[in-house]
Amino acid sequence: MSRFVRKTSRRKFLQYSSLTVGAGVLAACGNTSSKSSSSGSTADLGENPIKVGVLYSTTGSIAIVEKSLQDATFLAIDQINNGTGPWANNGAGIAGRKIQMVVVNPNSDWDLYNQMAKRLIDEDKVVAVLGCYTSASRKSVLPVFEEKDSLLYYPVYYEGNECSSNVIYTGAAPNQQITDSVPYAYKNFGPKGFFIGSDYIYPKESNRIARAELENIGGQVVGDEYAALGTTEFITIINKIKAAKPDFVLSNLVGDSIPAFYRQYKDAGIKAEDIPIMAYPTTEEEIQAMGPEFSTGHYTSFNYFQTVDTPENKAFVDEFKAMFGQNRVTNGVMEAAYLQTFFMAQAMKKVLEEGDELNTATIREATRGQEFNAPQGRVKVDPDNYHTYLHSRIARWKEDGQAEIVFSTDSAVKPIPWSQALYKGRICVHPTPDDRSNPTKETGKDLEPEFL
Amino acid sequence: MFHCISFSTGVSLYFLAQEEAEVTTGIDGLAILNQLLNGFGIVGVLLLTGLGLAITFGVMRIINLAHGEFIMLGAYVTFVMQSTFQMDLLLTIPFAFIVTAAIGAVVEFIIIRRLYGNPLETLLATWGLGIVLQGIVKLLFTAQLKYVKAPAYLSGSLVLLSDSSGAARVAISYYRLFIVLVGLALLGITMFLFYGTSWGRQIRAVTQNRDMSKCLGVNTQLIDMGTFAYGCGLAGIAGTVISPLKSVAPPMGQDYLVDAWMVVVTGGVDRLVGILAGSFLIGESNALIAFLLNDPLARVIVLTAVIVLIRYRPEGLFTVQKRV
Repeated sequence: MSRFVRKTSRRKFLQYSSLTVGAGVLAACGNTSSKSSSSGSTADLGENPIKVGVLYSTTGSIAIVEKSLQDATFLAIDQINNGTGPWANNGAGIAGRKIQMVVVNPNSDWDLYNQMAKRLIDEDKVVAVLGCYTSASRKSVLPVFEEKDSLLYYPVYYEGNECSSNVIYTGAAPNQQITDSVPYAYKNFGPKGFFIGSDYIYPKESNRIARAELENIGGQVVGDEYAALGTTEFITIINKIKAAKPDFVLSNLVGDSIPAFYRQYKDAGIKAEDIPIMAYPTTEEEIQAMGPEFSTGHYTSFNYFQTVDTPENKAFVDEFKAMFGQNRVTNGVMEAAYLQTFFMAQAMKKVLEEGDELNTATIREATRGQEFNAPQGRVKVDPDNYHTYLHSRIARWKEDGQAEIVFSTDSAVKPIPWSQALYKGRICVHPTPDDRSNPTKETGKDLEPEFL
Repeated sequence: MFHCISFSTGVSLYFLAQEEAEVTTGIDGLAILNQLLNGFGIVGVLLLTGLGLAITFGVMRIINLAHGEFIMLGAYVTFVMQSTFQMDLLLTIPFAFIVTAAIGAVVEFIIIRRLYGNPLETLLATWGLGIVLQGIVKLLFTAQLKYVKAPAYLSGSLVLLSDSSGAARVAISYYRLFIVLVGLALLGITMFLFYGTSWGRQIRAVTQNRDMSKCLGVNTQLIDMGTFAYGCGLAGIAGTVISPLKSVAPPMGQDYLVDAWMVVVTGGVDRLVGILAGSFLIGESNALIAFLLNDPLARVIVLTAVIVLIRYRPEGLFTVQKRV
């Protein structure tokens, strides 16, 4: 009898648990069904809203970063729909039509990005998608956007060496982040660099480019170490750094490896004055997570810092904090997620005002050459290679976790998608109108830096 | 425990002696010595994270895939105590233990109790539980990384050897030493509880023969709940002690789950001292191989070695012969 009871209760438990799992799956899929309007305010979207996909993970390992990108996107769309902030002179919505967001959550699973991109395009019929963070997820959705000829706005600094007709790249290309930081480190810290990174495509490519740049100017790479994504145990790498005695460490660690590394670096007794860390992915957000005392004196190269002194940035920071909490910080990736939403909206406005229909071809052509007064300064989509003119900045982290900007270009730098240290003279020029033919061109010459 | 201490100092003394000879010829020897010493930092973390699992799996035979989440819960308890009461990390340890143990007791009562003797179903149930716990924490604290502070008096390094210019050559941070000591202390306490008290005797009796223990008047349900809660509480302490080395986030426990399992499987589950041996072997070999080659490769090699070990010695290195 007791055996029987036990059996049934176990069966019941299984039923319940499978029900729960099923419900969970439903809930995850349910997200795809258009979640209209931004951040809870169920405002009336009026007649004929414009459907736009928002593709960021809010669960799983990369959610920590992508949630903040989603927040920045929500803020931008809220401002566009209500005609506030940078959109104040354009009235509510885009030529009277509001944006209806279709928010999906790919759960930090690269395959799910691919499936959800398909759903956004095929079933939800969105006209463009804002999203992705890691290069792995971008590589996963790229075939979808190219096959279905749809448009992705991608807000992240990345390793470059890509130039698709279906992606608008609004984060830094290698020449906007690496090209200035390597000579800066060489000049101010010394010739010997120790390179570290997480073990996947972006850090390895980025370090490969940085190595070429450092060796070109006579520097030397005394160590090159990678840690599996998500590693938080850095004793070994830190000991290797101690043994190699470099002048600086160049870090491309990402995610929760960043706080762990900086904390253990200081804990192991290495001072920022002796061996400073020059990093790309370490931003205000990660510094808040590690505690500013661990980052003080180290450096980051990025296009935007929360301390950038422009009226647009002051408004952006204030409005972001008002919407998401006073303890939140803004960083470069969030700023890119924010500004690219306005690129998209401006392009759509242009299309609608010219009386055209919103589709991939019209939005793409209209996005080319768009300019915007972003928090980091004036930026522009390069009409040839669909990357973005961005400011190049280097900052030293202060005791309060904010950046002291020690280097800044006067205006935005023209993006060069292909690393010139690796592929000399290779450029990318999409034809006008874009017929999606191969845009790669070899000039064989040194490219002069150009500014906006 | 005593054996281990004498063993570890034995190793360092041996290297110290060797280093005297090498100091003029090679720098490598010093670097490797330093790495081996710092390997104890890894050993300490493994010991801490493996100990709770040694109780839930080793003693109770529950395949607890939510172990990492209990580590995470401990870290969050510390975060809450620190951010609301500005409490010293060391003072939060008892709270982390009590809260995670209480949650463990509830989990045992609601889920695990119904699944004794069905390891596969506990595996599924605890896996799901892990997802649920992560989700709840994410709802309560958002997915943002949080941080806890290490006590100021544990900063800095213990320098054993420095070169002529005064730069430390062989040094280990005080916080890493602290982790090792906490790990050893918890192991000692657990061994005392299991082998020196009547509660421990009852636990061992229940694991060996549940029905017989019941006949003899042991309240097996209470014993089960207490033991599971204790294992979870240990995971909570691990979370507290590890959290200053990294940041606190909902998925943080996942990093430790695989390592904790490797330790338990390598050491064998019948004797608690196996945990010590397991963490020592895995931690130090990881440290050494990672130093000579690189980190990802070291993981591959160590994991492969553990698989080979399971193939030829599925019961682990330290097991007692049993009459079946």
